[in-house]
Amino acid sequence: MTLSPDFDVIVVGGGHAGTEAALAAARMGARTLLVTQSIETLGQMSCNPSIGGIGKGHLVKEIDALGGAMAQAADEAGIQFRILNSSKGPAVRATRAQADRTLYRQAIRVRLEGQPNLWLFQQAVEDLRVEGDAVRGIVTQIGLTFTARAVVLTTGTFLAGLIHVGQSHYAAGRAGDPPASALAARLRELALPAGRLKTGTPPRLDGRSLDYRVMERQPGDDPVPVFSFLGHPSQHPAQLPCWATRTSEATHDIIRGGLSRSPLYTGVIEGVGPRYCPSIEDKVVRFSAKDSHPIFVEPEGLGTHEVYPNGISTSLPYDVQLALVHSIPGFERAHITRPGYAIEYDYFDPRGLRRSLETRALAGLFFAGQINGTTGYEEAAAQGLLAGINAALQAQGREPWCPRREEAYLGVMVDDLVTRGVTEPYRMFTSRAEYRLRLREDNADLRLTEIGRQLGLVGDERWARFEAKREAIAREIGRLKSTWIHPQTVPPEAAQALVGRALEREYALYDLLRRPEVTIRQLAATVDREGGQVPPEVAEQVEIQAKYQGYIERQEAEVERLRAQEDLRLPDDLDYAALTGLSTEVRQKLARHRPETLGQAARISGVTPAALSVLLVHLRRAAAGRTPPAPRQGLAS
Amino acid sequence: MANADTIAATATAPGRGGIGVLRVSGPRVPAIAEAMLGACPRPRHATLGDFRDADDRLIDQGLALYFPAPHSYTGEDVLELQGHGGVAVQRLLLARALALGARLAEPGEFTKRAFLAGKLDLAQAEAVADLIDAASAQAARSAARSLEGEFSRRVDALVAGLVEARMYLEATLDFPEEELEGHAASRTRADVAALLGQVRDVERAASAGRLLREGLRVVLAGQPNVGKSSLLNRLAGDEVAIVTALPGTTRDPIRETLSLEGIPLHVTDTAGLRETTDAVERIGVEKAWGALAKADVVLLVLDAREGRRVADRAVLARVPAGVPVVEVHNKIDLGCEAARVPGEEGASAVFVSALTGEGMDDLKRAVLALAGRVPSTEGAFMARERHVRALARARTHLEGAGEPGLGPELVAEELRLAQEALNTITGAFGADDLLGEIFSRFCIGK
Repeated sequence: MTLSPDFDVIVVGGGHAGTEAALAAARMGARTLLVTQSIETLGQMSCNPSIGGIGKGHLVKEIDALGGAMAQAADEAGIQFRILNSSKGPAVRATRAQADRTLYRQAIRVRLEGQPNLWLFQQAVEDLRVEGDAVRGIVTQIGLTFTARAVVLTTGTFLAGLIHVGQSHYAAGRAGDPPASALAARLRELALPAGRLKTGTPPRLDGRSLDYRVMERQPGDDPVPVFSFLGHPSQHPAQLPCWATRTSEATHDIIRGGLSRSPLYTGVIEGVGPRYCPSIEDKVVRFSAKDSHPIFVEPEGLGTHEVYPNGISTSLPYDVQLALVHSIPGFERAHITRPGYAIEYDYFDPRGLRRSLETRALAGLFFAGQINGTTGYEEAAAQGLLAGINAALQAQGREPWCPRREEAYLGVMVDDLVTRGVTEPYRMFTSRAEYRLRLREDNADLRLTEIGRQLGLVGDERWARFEAKREAIAREIGRLKSTWIHPQTVPPEAAQALVGRALEREYALYDLLRRPEVTIRQLAATVDREGGQVPPEVAEQVEIQAKYQGYIERQEAEVERLRAQEDLRLPDDLDYAALTGLSTEVRQKLARHRPETLGQAARISGVTPAALSVLLVHLRRAAAGRTPPAPRQGLAS
Repeated sequence: MANADTIAATATAPGRGGIGVLRVSGPRVPAIAEAMLGACPRPRHATLGDFRDADDRLIDQGLALYFPAPHSYTGEDVLELQGHGGVAVQRLLLARALALGARLAEPGEFTKRAFLAGKLDLAQAEAVADLIDAASAQAARSAARSLEGEFSRRVDALVAGLVEARMYLEATLDFPEEELEGHAASRTRADVAALLGQVRDVERAASAGRLLREGLRVVLAGQPNVGKSSLLNRLAGDEVAIVTALPGTTRDPIRETLSLEGIPLHVTDTAGLRETTDAVERIGVEKAWGALAKADVVLLVLDAREGRRVADRAVLARVPAGVPVVEVHNKIDLGCEAARVPGEEGASAVFVSALTGEGMDDLKRAVLALAGRVPSTEGAFMARERHVRALARARTHLEGAGEPGLGPELVAEELRLAQEALNTITGAFGADDLLGEIFSRFCIGK
């Protein structure tokens, strides 16, 4: 049974990727249908109850700058906020919020229901409707067919999901939800290159059964940070502390005693887990010299006593879980409300994607989130946003869009995924970004809001406030650059306070600000009579730009140098096997990765500068076709 | 794709005699020509000119040819300076062009540019592709050869130290809440200082700079009357030492500065190294031992009829480890046809006659080659230049990282750039590799 009308975009899945995808497509004017197994779990945080962190907070701010929901939902649901790395430079500072799961779901659902052009529908999706090599719609559990110009799959851990607790395992999408097995089988038939990954969660505990007196209290920051450009601390609900405790020698003995029944160490689990988010049994085995590992007790929400003991993710049998929990200071009488588990799921090799997140195999089919081998709410949401944008663009007959590596962490992530693929669940770290000094939380709006506005993602209110901020920054920089101070007019004590000695020549205030030891506040307090009048976020931005200017200029020169290479597209049908002058290894790598541009080819390991030159020569020959060559002149070689 | 940058390379085999050609291509050519020649030469004419350095001192004289775009091999502005070809001169010319804004050309890059400018037949594309492949493979082999042994080990140690420093620093940036062992947060400053010392050492070892500035200290050693002084005279081309047939006539170590391929050689002719009771002669002998301790190259002069003697071994025992030794078998004109056996214990051997000049070219070549600083092919010359430049870039960034008051993310940026510079020597080491190091060293993750 085919239901009309035709949609522009169908999004399958209602997690962080799916909801951002649907919201973005609908905001751009595409008629969008979001199909989910359960409307109740839209925006569900399946793992730890927190949003952001180093690298991840950067992604959240970028999603926000492009009009996405995650930052605003975190502001409405956040019960503790912190700026990590606050003592280090602005490029590596990042916001993190502990979130109330229920409030977060509500904040997302309110946005979905209030979004024009977006319809919600509850049904499991079992099949894709394919015509030729293009996707045309979906088929649900009870045989309903919905048609669309583009389909975004955000299946999370639901594709052939398999939950392990000790030696027992069962099919599930996450604890309490059925898997998407039929869809997984159907996708496997499409012969997309697939693999298995694994992730896990700790057992959840009843907070009333914990002894907080032996734990360390970890409060949030004061003043309380906000996530969204449009956010305000007054949106935050009541704030709660987190707590810290540690595993003991006894814990480690219990874990070692249970390894013979661990699905991880008996070979039952085939999927690859992340090295940076190991289970507690992994930590004990791999870092056997450490006699204790930290545990952070995170509140699940304001309306529940349940807590999330971050640091003891495990798939050991339940009796071992119980014993190890009871061996931890403060957890001696803890009641486990939900056992910890590991879950294995299907993902598809992201090298099969274009940078728009459209699959190469089927036109109009987009993937976002864990299906691409990533982990994390923020990584999923950012991809969902991009897939939603590109699905809408395609439905509207417009060119695809993806930020470059120097424009956004989103660009770094997508380029990493489609160029290099994954060997473990992919998580964002700032060290992945070579242009880290440009890609900051504090300038996410300046980097992306304008393109977001052009794409139709950014509403009038955000745009107006953004333009006002951008103009204020430009004005303030202009004022500081054109305001000069003279040695004669600056009192020696002011100069001493500012730069530690008397001034020997004239300075523009902006040049003084570029010195590491000078702040905009000091300028206002000493020599800048008109200073101190701009809003703090403007002053902050001016100061950061001044401090980083030399480094940013150097990076810009680098970006410029590589631009031609980044822009040169490689034809989809290029026959690498037929190219001479390339080693067999390089030919095979290029054929496997099928880079979209010469710049991507350069980032494939083993592809040398010489190989790029050879590629360039072949490209030029292909492009020139039969044009007669210019006569040879000048010197001989 | 228009090339915004200007490339330069030495185009003919540097080394003994012949003509060395510096070739420059790209938009900066007119400016470079004007700076080095005083004026841009008339297009497409061979012009005799002076090639000058930044202080307007003469580097070399020769022919300058200027081909304005598009009528050139690469289709860009091209400058060729054909000089006298000595290694030192070639280096100075190339360094000057690089200082004026050119960068070192990649292997095969001139040909690649020619092709991309449509100067070569399309049918030649495959030939061009193969040429680039072959040229880069040859450059890699040359680089490997020129970097064998001690130098290569030191570069590897430098890179390992850099990776370690970055691993600790990046871990503190990306995982501020983790418990990182090894004083991760406080060690960076000391790491950077150590790396800076290391890179300066490697750079000194690799650089032609010291060679150009200070020259090579060559010590003539050997038993009395084997012909050391005659050899020095032959090398110098005029009489500087008192030469007699009586043992012990050279009382003082005599220093003579010669120029070989443009490289200054400070040759010290030692008194015969032997036990003596003569007070004056003993002073000379002691000075000789002192010179030996500071040598870059030792020429152990032997009488070809006798070969190595016991006393020679005593001399060799006092040559500092790592200083190359050439056995110079002199007096081959005296009709001896002794077997020309290779030198002992890794020393190379040459057979000469200071009297007739026979074999002297072999000796000069051996001295330059053994100094380890004079690769004999164009590929090796360019390969070494690239490595020296890469080390200098790495050093600049390490110096930046050592600036006081710099935030950790800025130190990390400088270290990343230092690593990128060294990647051109050792191959790529990317973010994934670094994360791998972090995850294998630290227990990361909640």
